[in-house]
Amino acid sequence: MPSSTASIAATAFAPAADTLDTVIDLIAREGVRSGSAVDETTRRDALALFADLPVPGGRPGRGWRYDYDNVPFDDLQWMTGRLGIATMPLPAPSSDPAIDRPALETDNAGGLVHLGATLLEPARALPVDSRIIVLPLADASRDHPKLVAQTHLKIAGWRSDRFAALATAFQNCGAFVYVPDGVVLDAPIQLVFTSSEAVRAAVFPHIVVVLGAGARATVMERYAGEGDALVCGIVEAHVGAGAQLDFVTVQQADPEARIFSTRAARCETGATMRWHLAELGGALARSVIDTRLAGPGANAEASALFFTGGMQHVELTTTCDHAVGQTTSNTVVRSAATDRGQGRFFGNITIRAQAHGSDASLRDDALLLSKHAHIDSVPALEIAANDVKAFHGATVGSLDEDTLFYALSRGIARADALRMIALGFFEPVIARFPGDRLRDEIRTALDRKIDEATEIDA
Amino acid sequence: MSNRGLVISGLRAAVEGKEILKGIDLTVEPGKVHALMGPNGSGKSTLAFAMTGHPNYEILGGSVKLDGEDLLELAPDKRAKAGLFLSFQYPAAIPGVSVANFIRTARMAVRPDDLPPAKFRQMIFEKLDVLDMDPAFLSRYVNDGFSGGEKKRLEMLQLAMIQPKYAVLDETDSGLDVDALQSVGRSVNAMRNADGGKDTGFLIITHYPRILQYIPADAVHIMMDGRIVKSGGPELANVIEREGYDKIRDEVAGGVA
Repeated sequence: MPSSTASIAATAFAPAADTLDTVIDLIAREGVRSGSAVDETTRRDALALFADLPVPGGRPGRGWRYDYDNVPFDDLQWMTGRLGIATMPLPAPSSDPAIDRPALETDNAGGLVHLGATLLEPARALPVDSRIIVLPLADASRDHPKLVAQTHLKIAGWRSDRFAALATAFQNCGAFVYVPDGVVLDAPIQLVFTSSEAVRAAVFPHIVVVLGAGARATVMERYAGEGDALVCGIVEAHVGAGAQLDFVTVQQADPEARIFSTRAARCETGATMRWHLAELGGALARSVIDTRLAGPGANAEASALFFTGGMQHVELTTTCDHAVGQTTSNTVVRSAATDRGQGRFFGNITIRAQAHGSDASLRDDALLLSKHAHIDSVPALEIAANDVKAFHGATVGSLDEDTLFYALSRGIARADALRMIALGFFEPVIARFPGDRLRDEIRTALDRKIDEATEIDA
Repeated sequence: MSNRGLVISGLRAAVEGKEILKGIDLTVEPGKVHALMGPNGSGKSTLAFAMTGHPNYEILGGSVKLDGEDLLELAPDKRAKAGLFLSFQYPAAIPGVSVANFIRTARMAVRPDDLPPAKFRQMIFEKLDVLDMDPAFLSRYVNDGFSGGEKKRLEMLQLAMIQPKYAVLDETDSGLDVDALQSVGRSVNAMRNADGGKDTGFLIITHYPRILQYIPADAVHIMMDGRIVKSGGPELANVIEREGYDKIRDEVAGGVA
């Protein structure tokens, strides 16, 4: 039974200022509950920035067809508010029971499920640890205004990245997760965004995660469901001194969805931030991961994989900023492309002048499984300090003929051998994801991507 | 049956347009061990790859039949299913694929559904033991970061687990120390003494006769410049040991002249 919802259809969304007017009106009508952690002035500033900021990654060309100036914004449904429901639904309407179904009723430390931008509120409360906060961002800004003001829009580069600016202008849902000093959560907090085929949803989430000193938590962000949603969101993670945060993203959106995400973390002294990113769905998926190592002893790990098939485009940018010395970072990326899939990875490491004793490594390997597939790898190291260790290595190649022949010579059929070798290629990254269950889920999802491919060969 | 055997007839093959095998005739009977010896570059490994169907090796003529089935008509995986196994001189690594998973998949492909998981485990632990291999080996990635000796042991483990009708061992002894060579010998002999391996025919390709101290050959063939120039009993290996290939080369040259 609906407790409070509202929606409008904005046609021919450019995205223009008049659309923003309509969205701001809608949010005003819905009140703070529907997701107005951003004030009107900031929204208008952000939209102006969106118009002025450069298109990331340059113009389309060979190896990258997608034109960011022509992201279709037409006929979006701006749903907001919340729906009361009897029990927490399975978050993704999927026929495959092995995937898409994070166990929200068990095996978690709380979470939120959205259909489009609408929060689905179960009548039965989730088993949230009383010491932690897991709330819709708008609720948190009402109930914990100081905490939100200190942490929201503080570290994500919404003034410098075109799509982070867009996410800020149209923010219409989100989550606030707070784990106080010393609290250790074993089970993950799950934030789920699903969509329905019936609605071309506009989903602009903003997730803020704050870990106090010595706290430990895992936050899982999932995109699933059907329909050509437009998702444009921000994640900000504040990792306190000695805290450890695992932030997992499993993106299995509809093949027609377009997904933009800007994720940023700030790590204090001795903190550890681990990003785990699996980009599997969407027509277009663009992810930015920015990590700032702000205190000595801080450590960042990024483990990312993507698989682009059909006509998919996946772009990933990671930046690790060693602002002070004695900090470490380790980035590992594996990607594969089949059919006419295209991907590109921009890997950046910055070691600032005073950041002596830093240790940074960046490794990325791409596997091309069809002659029409394309992946670019663009690493960039900017090192201003002496006495540092920095490593980067990148490969882009097709499947090794001798490896394939070896498997064939053991009686393994060609299709099975290709599948086995391609899945094996992702293992070094999958092994870095937390939990057997999640790892198996990723393997199953990759296996399905291989099933769906029309062209796979060495 | 009269057509049983791995029968190579008039086999000619080229690599990158250059003819390497210039007409090979050789028959390995079930349960027998044939040694194929020869100096480097004589075409021994080319024979192994041509038989198994490596795409870089072009067949120019002749035939290879396995118990009557024409192997050259088949894709490489079908040749393995027909009963042919090659122990590689330089086995490829398959990162991310565990030894256990790989061998299980291979066994299932060659002998579908004949071994329940519990039996498979029991069998693989027995074979590991014979080869002096740690069970931890099973969870490592196939040949990924393996030493030369580990790679050869893994080839022997696969041989023992797949139990093919015919096995070609390409320079399995090269680069092995005495302990590893003994393990290899023990594993092959254990297989030949077991029910599943009694009828397996072996073609052991080697440069040096020493592997034949551990796996005695029923026949020895000497290959030079893409042809088998001399065949004989096990004593032929001893001639090579004593006198090297030069003597035979001279003999062959003399014969031609």
